[in-house]
Amino acid sequence: MSRIRGSFCIAVAIAALAACGSNSTTSSVATGTARGTLIENPPFRIASLNAAAFEAQLDASPVGQSLLALAGAPACGVDFYYVKYWTVGAAAESATASGALMVPTGAAPQCSGPRPIVLYAHGTNTDKALNIADVTNSSNTEGQLIAAMFAAHGYIVVAPNYAGYDISSLSYHPFLNGDQQSKDMMDALAAARSALPNTFAAATSDSGKLFITGYSEGGYVAMATHKALQAAGATVTASAPMSGPYALEAFGDAVFYGSVNIGSTEFTPLITTSYQKAYGNIYAQLTDIYEPTYAPGIDTLLPSTTPIDTLFEDGKLPETALFSSTTPVTGNVALDAALAIPANPIFALGFGASNLVTNDYRVQYVLDAVAHPDGAVPLPQAGVPLAAAPQQSLRVAFKLNDMRSWSPHVPVLLCGGGQDPTVFFSVNAGTMQAYWSTLHQGLLTILDVNAAPTAGDPFAALQVGFQETEAQIIASEGQVAAVESYHSTVAPFCTAAARGFFSQF
Amino acid sequence: MKIPMKTIAAAALFALAVSVAHADDVPENTIRVGMYYIQYHSTADDISGPYVPNGLNLHVNAIETLYLAYVRRLSEHFDLELAAGAPPTTKTEGRGPATLGSVPYNGQVISTAKWFAPTLLLNYKFLDDSYALRPYIGIGVNYANFYDRRSTAAGNAVSGGPTSISLPVSVGVAGTVGVSYRLPERWSLYLSYSMSEVKSKLTADTAGVIRTTQISFGPRALVIAAGYSFGK
Repeated sequence: MSRIRGSFCIAVAIAALAACGSNSTTSSVATGTARGTLIENPPFRIASLNAAAFEAQLDASPVGQSLLALAGAPACGVDFYYVKYWTVGAAAESATASGALMVPTGAAPQCSGPRPIVLYAHGTNTDKALNIADVTNSSNTEGQLIAAMFAAHGYIVVAPNYAGYDISSLSYHPFLNGDQQSKDMMDALAAARSALPNTFAAATSDSGKLFITGYSEGGYVAMATHKALQAAGATVTASAPMSGPYALEAFGDAVFYGSVNIGSTEFTPLITTSYQKAYGNIYAQLTDIYEPTYAPGIDTLLPSTTPIDTLFEDGKLPETALFSSTTPVTGNVALDAALAIPANPIFALGFGASNLVTNDYRVQYVLDAVAHPDGAVPLPQAGVPLAAAPQQSLRVAFKLNDMRSWSPHVPVLLCGGGQDPTVFFSVNAGTMQAYWSTLHQGLLTILDVNAAPTAGDPFAALQVGFQETEAQIIASEGQVAAVESYHSTVAPFCTAAARGFFSQF
Repeated sequence: MKIPMKTIAAAALFALAVSVAHADDVPENTIRVGMYYIQYHSTADDISGPYVPNGLNLHVNAIETLYLAYVRRLSEHFDLELAAGAPPTTKTEGRGPATLGSVPYNGQVISTAKWFAPTLLLNYKFLDDSYALRPYIGIGVNYANFYDRRSTAAGNAVSGGPTSISLPVSVGVAGTVGVSYRLPERWSLYLSYSMSEVKSKLTADTAGVIRTTQISFGPRALVIAAGYSFGK
């Protein structure tokens, strides 16, 4: 028996030997929840593409081919990191969020060492699962765009998915909330800067130059972030907000008067939920704003994992009819005429029998706009001031988030398309141009890619390119398709303009 | 496949019961030392999880290691063998596309692990003690504990960052066929071929992104060993 026991001691000794080994570990997980904390360090790299592989991937699709023609062949490879970080919601509640860190790689001089950062804010997206870092997802065209335009040409790119998307613990998205969204951007930037030294491309570092840009919702967010960073005394080298609703109060008034923008039935629920979460006074009941057909659950409808077309088909939202085709009667003849269905066929799409917003709410809003007019809409006033004392809660929220509240200290490019039916260029970029009319020469550049090119204009080629593309869409798909896609068609041309603008600094 | 502990206990009791019949003039303990030549007939499900393209698989490389066993004679025809070789380091290679993005994959050693994998076998020996050359067959239980599990630098690059790997303990049936040849002065030579059932679920965690696959390692071991017997 003792000899058997001895034999098992051999096994025990080997087992003890086994216990001496240690296993490899994964990234460390932050225990703190302070704003800007990188949750997993190093972050997860979704993909690594050298310049040739990235070019081949882009070249495999018509959209990618167009992008290559505009952005040029990649000079650098790109590593795509999935960054998770702590930020805050609209009510300052702690929340997790995620985004992309795109790091240039490769032997070319502009692909490593100290590189500038582009902080990018994406446009409105109804897909709650959006992950702009996932370059393996062919529907992530905005991620491909910024990778091809910036990262593949030597810029480190930081692009949050925003709180309320992807893995975010926030149950809603603080849409067009300048305070929250600028914090989200700054927190993503802080987390990405923490991650940079620990990536596979640790030789690529932050040069200290910071450029901010974004498109549509992201154009607004880019400007709000520039404003916030400037107020915080942080370095901003230059910014290029694109096609954003900067003059929110003026834009809101234009829509409620009847200039209904394409996409309004998606934007409106996002806005009312966002501001209700932030200020708590947008509505007491959803039927204060929305028709009973659509009111139930509309506060949690967007963003959604259900495709937007399915939401339309299922009757969760009307596709275009923001307002009723039955014109409300206020008793004010001039106002009633102003509220009638517009002659402009694009604006008229915003009216229908199965509409989203009640006439009562529309009238309530417009009466406040009449009593406390915005300085840009409907009649531009000198200095395009904000309304002095709006009372209607949504207009108060618009005023609070309107960008007519600051002036930049470093150069800004505002790019967009003059005929944009989704985010009106004149109401937004035009209003900001008027508001900033006294800025020092050179601080503000306005670019309308739809305008006639002028000799010597560094952006003339982009204007020509955009207008040729529009003409091709009209010829091949028709006028309606061209109008519907106009806003997204502008994006790559303005992004190319932003890169050219940044390259001066 | 998991073998219940009570089945293992019953096998051990059976072995002890048989041991009552051993002859008094034959050494009852043998230590064997030799070499394992282990081929893995591994099969694995395609790796599943986020950001994993279709068709990613794994392959386990063959290894050689030291064979060490204690054999307890139970009777003229039965031995109880506890084989516990020096823990080998196995290397797992990627199988699939040449690259993932621009990162090499196919044929890259992406992880390593050491095994502590003792096997308890009840062997039946043919012929009788008067024969120098005796074939035998055995059946038993293999216990495999994976430790020192590491994702290589190539594995980290493929996975997207530093990666921890989990491979739970495997318990499975084992079988052997072999032949012993008795030499003078208590020495013997052994040649055997063994198979074990070793299955485990590989889980890789890269910054919270979890990918998994079920691996059947299918080890086939050729053993060449010398043994020294002692005891009465």
